Amino acid sequence: MMTRHAIIFCWVLAIGLALFLLLPLVVIAAASFSPTPVFDLPLSGASLRWYGRIGRLDGFWPSLSLSLQIAVLSTALSLVAGTLAAIAIARGRLPGATALGTLLVSPLMMPGLVLGIALLQYFRMIGFTATWSALLVAHLVVTLPYVARTMIAGLSRFDFTLIEAARTLGCTYAGSVIRVMVPALAPSFLISGLFSLLASFDNYPVSIFLTDVRSKTLPIRMLQYIEEAPDPTLAALSTLILAGTLVLLLISDRLVGLHRMAGTAD
Amino acid sequence: MSEPAPHLVISAVSKRFGAATVLDRVDLTIRRGELVTLLGPSGCGKTTLLRAIAGLSPPDTGTIALAGRDVTHVPPHWRNVGVVFQSYALFPHLTVAGNVAFGLKVRGAPKADIDRAVQRALALVKLGHLGGRRISALSGGQQQRVALARAIAVEPDVLLFDEALSALDRKLREEMQIELRRLLQDVKATAIFVTHDQDEALTMSDRVAVMNKGRIEQLAAPRELYARPASLFALNFVGLSTRIAGQVVGGQDGMVDVVTPVGRLSARGAFQLGASVIVATRPEQLRLGADHEANSASGRVRSVVFQGSRTLVDVDAGAGASLLAELSGREAEVPRVHDEVRFAWPAAETFAFAAEASP
Amino acid sequence: MTDAVLSAPVATPAPDRERLAAFGFVAPSLLITALVFVLPLALLLGVSVLDPKGGVTSAHYARLLGTPYYLGVIWNSLRLGLLTTLIAFLISYPAAFALARARGPLRSILLATLFLPLAASVIVKAFAWTILLRSDGLINTVLIAAGIIEDPIRMIFTQTALIVGAVNIFLPFMVLPIYAVVAQLDSRYAEAAATLGASPLVVFFRVILPLTLPGIVAGVALVFSLSVSAYVVPTLLIGEKYPTLATTIAKAYLLAREPGFGAAAGVVLLAIAIIVVALSALLSREPK
Repeated sequence: MMTRHAIIFCWVLAIGLALFLLLPLVVIAAASFSPTPVFDLPLSGASLRWYGRIGRLDGFWPSLSLSLQIAVLSTALSLVAGTLAAIAIARGRLPGATALGTLLVSPLMMPGLVLGIALLQYFRMIGFTATWSALLVAHLVVTLPYVARTMIAGLSRFDFTLIEAARTLGCTYAGSVIRVMVPALAPSFLISGLFSLLASFDNYPVSIFLTDVRSKTLPIRMLQYIEEAPDPTLAALSTLILAGTLVLLLISDRLVGLHRMAGTAD
Repeated sequence: MSEPAPHLVISAVSKRFGAATVLDRVDLTIRRGELVTLLGPSGCGKTTLLRAIAGLSPPDTGTIALAGRDVTHVPPHWRNVGVVFQSYALFPHLTVAGNVAFGLKVRGAPKADIDRAVQRALALVKLGHLGGRRISALSGGQQQRVALARAIAVEPDVLLFDEALSALDRKLREEMQIELRRLLQDVKATAIFVTHDQDEALTMSDRVAVMNKGRIEQLAAPRELYARPASLFALNFVGLSTRIAGQVVGGQDGMVDVVTPVGRLSARGAFQLGASVIVATRPEQLRLGADHEANSASGRVRSVVFQGSRTLVDVDAGAGASLLAELSGREAEVPRVHDEVRFAWPAAETFAFAAEASP
Repeated sequence: MTDAVLSAPVATPAPDRERLAAFGFVAPSLLITALVFVLPLALLLGVSVLDPKGGVTSAHYARLLGTPYYLGVIWNSLRLGLLTTLIAFLISYPAAFALARARGPLRSILLATLFLPLAASVIVKAFAWTILLRSDGLINTVLIAAGIIEDPIRMIFTQTALIVGAVNIFLPFMVLPIYAVVAQLDSRYAEAAATLGASPLVVFFRVILPLTLPGIVAGVALVFSLSVSAYVVPTLLIGEKYPTLATTIAKAYLLAREPGFGAAAGVVLLAIAIIVVALSALLSREPK
């Protein structure tokens, strides 16, 4: 239904958009191979030395470990809590289900920075100073909305009659859920897990206020590196993270389909 | 000759949702191998009753006994009922064979038995070659058959169909009705259908239960339901009719004389003098011409609708009364619009029902 | 925001046992959200009006909303949000239509370019822009080498850099919601309008635009929310020259040790976000 001109215009913008989005990523990847400590682009040569130096960055391994632990644990907990809540909400039999759904998803729209300072105050006030635990609890709020949003959307497309059918064929209620709902929800589950992991791993506005001198998550550590002594090691680290994400995306595309992740039905 | 033992006995079953009574002391007995339809408008309770039989929505009071066992509060997975849902409810993550095998897998049957049962069920619904297909690749009609095969594969005590054909287009639907009835008779299954489509009910059933407001108004074979409706509701719900309001002025021996705007009519019924009644008859009973031994009325033809094997003639009989006549295709004389006509019909095929407020 | 589709038969109120189970299911999430989100924010509100010497004070808000400097800071944040959102929208909306027409490997590649940046931390991307925009950065080097300019253009630490960087970083959040809606647009609506005599322009404004409105509203709300409260992007790309509410908050807490004032700034930022969310919920409600 679109005119020829309009279609061409849209495509030009789409390709431009794609290139524009890739630009900083390509720059980082290129800079990571720089033979000199300065970010001189275009490159006068190629070197892998910065990749070797990643491990020797001050405080790198503890930060990586901390970020991974927090990301995995908060994601796991949110997946459980969020999925259960989404089931109850999508069933529609709970009074105020829609309002509840909106509440659970609302932290996504709130400035993370504000939540960060709020949590700082709050934890101090109730005497909750253990950094690791505080980070975990804070990241629950970071990850839960992603799970809630994706699972509620996925469940709203789920036909609960399937559970009834399974029950008449001999499954208990729990059995039907496992045999019928779990396979149907697996894609949404995977997607929410992926988004949550990334959201937690990359989070800075909440983390920045809850980390202390000894425990810093990776993004906070990287911000420190940038402000103190930026060198291509950082670019190498970022490129590795990007490569890892690319692999994750490829796997997700195989398993679930990227267009499904974008929120469109099949 | 003794009757086969009742297979499904529903006794005084009631159910309320909040303030609304959805099932009102329903009694129903079904014999093994019988095909019964629950027929009625939406909200009459037919689906609720079906779900109660399936175990998905247990009744508040009353009992349900299946094959001699009291199953009133037994959860569905122990009841051995097969349900075919309106939306088919096929599991999208399993293939056709996977769906059909589901019930047997859950019961832990050995693989060889499962495969055999699946093949048999698919052959019964003529889908033997589609075992490996994904559900999303099937047409509506094919999905319907898979849903049926899945329910049959576990050899349930009773098969329940919840508006199972309503998603099909008309031609396919009519074909499926006939095929389904034949298949069910072949496997000697006991089945209950829920539908609001009277043609479907008449086609497929040994007996039809007309339901209204949570009660069964009439339980009878299709032929009897059509020819001898027990209430105005049953009359209206199944088939077409001529209905004329009037008042009883006399009667005896099971017949009443009724004064109506189109004249004095005689009908089956027993009413007090002065009672307000509706006098009704089926369209095929009306014959062109006068007959002093029978009921008759005249009027001006309002419309003539040709429907292939029959022609429906709608007559304005004056004072707000209408006649609906059905003339068979063999009739030589078909009136035209605006013609003055007179129709006659036998008193024995005329019924009087109490005039009630709109149903 | 979500459509919970009821697939069970009409309006059957859940029996008590099921209702109880449902509450149990929701309880953990509700608890987390209440205790770790709602409560701290409420407390923040309290802190923002707390006088360190005891009692309630509106001094922080007076300073924030009364002094020209801080009014300017608030305006900076709003301006950043508005410009970023507008530009991102103008690019994303047409692009989404092209994306929706893509099929197969091309679609996967384009979607990957949307998702991949999401995986890179904002810090990494902002850092990349500093590399690009520096006086000896990539863009300047290329332009000089191509002979288009002689002296390097001053790009970093300008508002242009800020906007370009912000748009780059928040663009996926605009494209994805719009794409999700556009991809599911039924072409028959436009066709029906055309048969009723509507020209392509009319079809666009009266059929396509209204139908894609939910996606637009979602994208706009999200990007505005994110850019209004952006911290890393302004800090790395423009620094002190463009103070925003976000940088003010960070300074108040991490440097100046003024929690009350920082809290007030946080509340103002929060209020902006809530207004945006409320507006978007209103706008995306189905017309009667």
